Amino acid sequence: MNGITLYAQLISTDNWHGAITSDVGRTGILTANTEYLKQLLAQCSLGNRRAFETLYRSVAPSLHSVALRCMGRRDLAEEVVQESFVRIWHNASRYEAHLSAPLTWMINITRNLAIDQLRKHRELPLSDLQQDAVADDTPGADEQLDSARSSRALNHCLEQLDGMQRQTITIAYFHGFSASELATQLAAPLGTVKSSIRRGMERLRRCLES
Amino acid sequence: MNYKTADLRRALAGDYAIGLMPPTARKRFEQLLLDDAHLRAELAQWNTHLASLAEPLTAQPVPEHVWQAVVSRIEPQKLHVPAKRPFWTWLRTGAVVCSLLIAVTVGLLYTRDNAQYKATLLSGTEQPALRIEAHADYLKVQPLELAAVDAGRSLELWAIPVEGKPVSLGLIPTGGDGMIGLSESQQQMLGTRVVLAVSLEPRGGSPTGQPTGPVLYQGPLAAL
Repeated sequence: MNGITLYAQLISTDNWHGAITSDVGRTGILTANTEYLKQLLAQCSLGNRRAFETLYRSVAPSLHSVALRCMGRRDLAEEVVQESFVRIWHNASRYEAHLSAPLTWMINITRNLAIDQLRKHRELPLSDLQQDAVADDTPGADEQLDSARSSRALNHCLEQLDGMQRQTITIAYFHGFSASELATQLAAPLGTVKSSIRRGMERLRRCLES
Repeated sequence: MNYKTADLRRALAGDYAIGLMPPTARKRFEQLLLDDAHLRAELAQWNTHLASLAEPLTAQPVPEHVWQAVVSRIEPQKLHVPAKRPFWTWLRTGAVVCSLLIAVTVGLLYTRDNAQYKATLLSGTEQPALRIEAHADYLKVQPLELAAVDAGRSLELWAIPVEGKPVSLGLIPTGGDGMIGLSESQQQMLGTRVVLAVSLEPRGGSPTGQPTGPVLYQGPLAAL
């Protein structure tokens, strides 16, 4: 019974094309002042509480949107956001500025915490977790050219992927499904799912790097 | 696993980033990450590209209580008052006022009957056996786990001052439940630091005025 609701969910949530085209032109969450966030993180690693609060006010809504996308429920998403900032505060000194943008680093913390939670609760049917799902497509406050441009780039790159690649990558990324869970849900051989994800990721990366 | 060739490292970092690795492989990979800056860089590349999957998301406002919770987590020594909710605050204040009113009224009615001292007497094995409340002119005795006493014996309650001899307060009522009246000198005695003790005596109490049998229970009397 689990499988059926889950499968329906897999098919329905990952309508990338529609989601992306409707989002072009809005303020994406990745358009953040990277240098500013780097300074704030550096201050946090020195124990500056005020910088931490500023950082929170700047990026909490973005991390919230990621948590919500993963968890599908506001209360669970808020817990993940809370946990994320506790971790950001304690691990600020481990942020390596030359490796990744601050927001990427923080999004990854949020996503990892969310996935840990989801894996713990995986025995629950996903439909339960997601029945209160809140659409993450409320319009942004203002529009920025940069965001539109990067959304277009992503959109273009995602279009290079086939349906299965998009679906498997998205579900693995936001919901932490393992390859074997995906294989079961999609009724596809494990090897096919794995290679689909790997080929899709390579294609996505090469496209984004070009 | 071979982590040497660049392609393989890139592929493994990708597997790790998207979550394809089983838990044991994950742990091993995380160990490698600690000492391998290049591998961390490879992973960061993947994370950066994958994070672009979050690009279409729209920022979602976060309720203020989340920030309060974060603050209380990182600064547990500070007292943080949660956000006030007017209705509940009003209700709580109302409840406090009501209970104060009731307490004062009851207190006025029963002011002469307030317990002033209290003791829980323990057995030799530290088991609570008897609870005693000292009111103005009587003791209230409540059995907790009292040993059965045969018909030819009585339990006698003593007050033992820091210095000086035990003073009998009277017999424990049969079954342990009841009251023991206090004379004026006994009342005064309970105002000083005393330990209460129960000894096993012949029926009707110690013939000598001092404990003659074994002490079964004891405990200090504390002011409330």
